[in-house]
Amino acid sequence: MTLKRHSMAPLARILCVAAGLTFAAGCGGGSGSTTPPPTSNPVPSITSLSPASAAVGAAAQTLTITGTGFLSSSTVTFNGAAHTATYVSSTQLTISLTAADEATAGSFAVVVTNPSPGGGASNAVDFKVSGANNVISLDVNLGPTNDYVNGLFASVEVCEPGSSTNCTTVPNVLVDTGSTGLRLLSGAVGGLTLPAVTDSSGNDVQECLQFISMTYIWGPVVQADIHLAGESAPSASVHIISESPQYAAPSSCVPTSGAQDLNSLSALGANGILGVSNLTQDCGSACTEASNGIPMYYSCPNGSCQITSVPVSSTKGQVWNPVALFPQDNNGVLVSLPKIAAGGAPTASGSLIFGIGTQTNNTLGSAQVYAVTPDLYFTTTYNGTQYSGSFIDSGSNAYYFLDSATLKNLDCTDNTGWYCPPAAASFTVTNAGTNGTTGSLTFSIDNADNLFQTGYGAFNDLGGDSGNSPSTDYFDFGVPFFFGRDVFVGIGGQTVTGVTNAPNGFWAF
Amino acid sequence: MKTISGVLLILTLGAAPAWAVLGEYESSVSLDQRYMRGEDRVIAGQGYKLHQITSPNGAVVTEYVSPEGKVFGVSWRAPFIPNLEQLLGSYATPVEQAAEAQTHRHGGPLIVRAADFVFVSGGHMRAFHGSAYVPSLLPKNVTAEVVQ
Repeated sequence: MTLKRHSMAPLARILCVAAGLTFAAGCGGGSGSTTPPPTSNPVPSITSLSPASAAVGAAAQTLTITGTGFLSSSTVTFNGAAHTATYVSSTQLTISLTAADEATAGSFAVVVTNPSPGGGASNAVDFKVSGANNVISLDVNLGPTNDYVNGLFASVEVCEPGSSTNCTTVPNVLVDTGSTGLRLLSGAVGGLTLPAVTDSSGNDVQECLQFISMTYIWGPVVQADIHLAGESAPSASVHIISESPQYAAPSSCVPTSGAQDLNSLSALGANGILGVSNLTQDCGSACTEASNGIPMYYSCPNGSCQITSVPVSSTKGQVWNPVALFPQDNNGVLVSLPKIAAGGAPTASGSLIFGIGTQTNNTLGSAQVYAVTPDLYFTTTYNGTQYSGSFIDSGSNAYYFLDSATLKNLDCTDNTGWYCPPAAASFTVTNAGTNGTTGSLTFSIDNADNLFQTGYGAFNDLGGDSGNSPSTDYFDFGVPFFFGRDVFVGIGGQTVTGVTNAPNGFWAF
Repeated sequence: MKTISGVLLILTLGAAPAWAVLGEYESSVSLDQRYMRGEDRVIAGQGYKLHQITSPNGAVVTEYVSPEGKVFGVSWRAPFIPNLEQLLGSYATPVEQAAEAQTHRHGGPLIVRAADFVFVSGGHMRAFHGSAYVPSLLPKNVTAEVVQ
């Protein structure tokens, strides 16, 4: 929209005079005065914006554009969209930025255009909406125990709630797209005093988390502020993997009485687990009633641990995906690992980027979106067979699948449960999401015995047997899958621009 | 168990859950009738029958019984791992041994492929599944594929 020229032109002239401008043509855009009408409008030019930038999520505000050649008939676009210009002078225009204009991080061009005759578009000056620093580094290596092949590790800072000084940075935390929530060895946060999360009876909440390897971790749930790059999850519930548990793990959560816990650095191979799956909480509504009998959250009032109710709530409740607790960049993550050579690499480094489509560094781009079932599964078709329970899991250190053709009877000599083809074998599978997306991909499996012999920490061609039970109905795309890809993990129930029909979350790559 | 030309006969036995142990007789079923607190359906299949116990907490445990009354297979799909000691009986030991014997495997399924015992535990948080069977106890004309 342009302003009414007949009423504003005299003001414009006054301002031009006041500014001591000699650019008569630029200031003479009015009509019906003693000044002869210009033969042509000037081309406007922008020299600066005020403010020049804003933080993502900033409130609506006025943006002042300073330059030359502005007319009361000038129009302004912000990121290509017309914004009503208010003419102040030939050197100053203002527009109103809405909260929506500042909801997404990035650089957005501001352009002033004068109408003909003459006229035209100014130079573009970027208004920067800056997001939080949303990147932490990832390292694939053998980890603190020096024997964890394809361990994907990051550092996590945790603080006592509300404190900026009583903090500790925990290195070597496994980044796991197959679980939800931050879990840290007690020794890794031993210097902090972290308040217990209690149940409605005031008893400290303990958590038991089972793994399909028939192992488990066990310990109290506490509150801590989690800091990951510039992102923060305040007063989040964090599961402490207790190296000297106050209570024995209850039999209902221990898969078998002789099952091993992973409550030590040597057993876990890491200082903790950062679970950034498609889920918002590790349990959800099922654990809000103890009577449901989910063997996960316990309290031990008399030394005897019983299943207890824990609300879903993001504070003093269940253990959440920390990403979902961020004030922004909270709809998922992007795991970006470089391509590595066949046969492996000693180590590899990449990035864990928070948010999807919230900043310039996490746009989906051409990635294909595969929506998942409520159990977070998609379908993989291989050799004409559909495997409906497939998933992507950075907490799995290999491709785990059942191959009854190429790899059958190619078990390893030295390492049970691995595939050992005489030479690298290629596999092509087709994945299908619940949203109808389909796509093929190819990967290689090489001889695991030989790969392990290298002593390397990173492999893109490591494959393990998922068992020959008839219930084996999945491909587990582990860490090797991530190399050379940008893999997005969309959290269920969150909004991601351009993604529809993914109520349970999605994978994109 | 008599079958009716491949069509499954479904009997709902109400809320009296059965519990059987792999490799033992169905009559050992009541070792733990409280654990699942679920509804037991007895389904007749071709040359075998199964108990399918569905708990309010979302766990589905299926036990496969031969005509001789022995449990030759078990399977589970649940938001957690059920107490496998009660399901597997003495077969829990080879599972524990396999878990400890793993080299370099992290975060993947646990498998046992012995001549007399086959086991797999898979899935992930909130969606666990697995199965176990004893090949030598498979009824005549019944393949392991029935253990789903």
